[in-house]
Amino acid sequence: MNYMPGTASLIQDIDKKHLVLLRDGRTLIGYLRSIDQFANLVLHQTVERIHVGKKYGDIPRGIFVVRGENVVLLGEIDLEKESDTLLQQVSIEEILEEQRVEQQAKQESERLKVQALKERGLCVPRADTLDEY
Amino acid sequence: MTSKEKDWVIKVEMIQLQSENMDDDYYYQMYYHRLEQRQAEEELLGWRNRQEPPKLVTPFIQKVETYNSVVRIAGSLGQVAVSTCYSPRRAIDAVHHALVEEVGEGRLCWQLFLQLLEVEEMQRKMSLAAEEQEQKSQEAERIYQALKIRACSSEEEAEDEFLQLLCVQKGKKLTARLLPHLSPEQAEKILLTITHHLPFLMKKDVLDESLPLLYSPLNKVVGRMTFSKLIEVLQEMSRPLPESPELPITMALKNQFGISLLYSLLSHGEKLLSSDTPLEPCSGDFETWTDVVFLVARELSQVPKASLVEPLFLPSNLLSLFCRYLDKQTVHHLEAKME
Repeated sequence: MNYMPGTASLIQDIDKKHLVLLRDGRTLIGYLRSIDQFANLVLHQTVERIHVGKKYGDIPRGIFVVRGENVVLLGEIDLEKESDTLLQQVSIEEILEEQRVEQQAKQESERLKVQALKERGLCVPRADTLDEY
Repeated sequence: MTSKEKDWVIKVEMIQLQSENMDDDYYYQMYYHRLEQRQAEEELLGWRNRQEPPKLVTPFIQKVETYNSVVRIAGSLGQVAVSTCYSPRRAIDAVHHALVEEVGEGRLCWQLFLQLLEVEEMQRKMSLAAEEQEQKSQEAERIYQALKIRACSSEEEAEDEFLQLLCVQKGKKLTARLLPHLSPEQAEKILLTITHHLPFLMKKDVLDESLPLLYSPLNKVVGRMTFSKLIEVLQEMSRPLPESPELPITMALKNQFGISLLYSLLSHGEKLLSSDTPLEPCSGDFETWTDVVFLVARELSQVPKASLVEPLFLPSNLLSLFCRYLDKQTVHHLEAKME
């Protein structure tokens, strides 16, 4: 039943599996159980998925209550298509290790960039978080 | 999520959709712009213009911003600290205003009820000495006076305090419990008032359905009435109403209390007539009596059985009453109706 034609509402998404991207870069996958007018979400059987290259790892998190303002986007997961993925699932330890390595590499290249710019007399302030106001 | 929760969320979202200014609303403008474009395209392509997409009709929920200087939370035992964005700290009301909120009739009812309880308490004391009896009847008299009964008043029903009291369930209970303690004249006056305003009371009782409370005490009052008084009461019921084509009797037949009272009156009349006691009627009483009996019989036969309500009590002498005035066929017809 179409509750409100011509409008966007999360009512139809209740009890379906969703992928939620948060402002801090985390990816959560879980069943959407409850919403409210601010798009605060209650996710059930949530899993935090970490992607590094072509590999990914799932950390089970249980029940999540997400404040609406922290959501970048969310979308329903097609359960049939979920399994046809080119990505390779690995264990949690492995993915965390991969993530750490990736973070280190990124920090290193960033450091070199800043140094090179400094040498040329340019000073670029570092964005510490993803949130920029 | 339960459907109630979902409905709530939808309602809140609908309220958010309400926009005072449609011209400045980007989303509104864009949506309808695109909709029209799409429909124009489809028409061009030769498709039959699809039935209009379901239009969103938002329930117009009035957003009223009221500021209550003192907030009283129902059921709380006093002042509860309330703070909102309008006032971090609400004013605290030092004076207790509980009684002010009660409805006018409610207060009166309540006070009279307390007095009535006193009267009944006195009644319960087994050995009532003469002075105590006197005291009891004085108390009852006081309550009666407080009720300010104006029998057969032609005033607006809204202004009659006693009637307003009777509209409330508590008022009916009060009157029902008071009746046994009143003198016969006072009780008959109450009966007369009730019968005079019967259509009004029946209409007001649709939700509560508490008029039957009064049946039992009124039945006892009827049982003690003289023939002339009975005729007076019956006349009230057969008097045509200015605003309605229906007679009070006809309306009473469709109401449980009404029909029970009517049957009770007729039964008492029949009992008086068939007994040996002298009646001392006033002139015209017998004619009125016969008229009423015929009227009731006529209305009973005309009202469809589906609209007739079962009375609280069906007196056994009604059929013999009808037998005396009507032919066998009609009596059988009425018998079937009354079953």
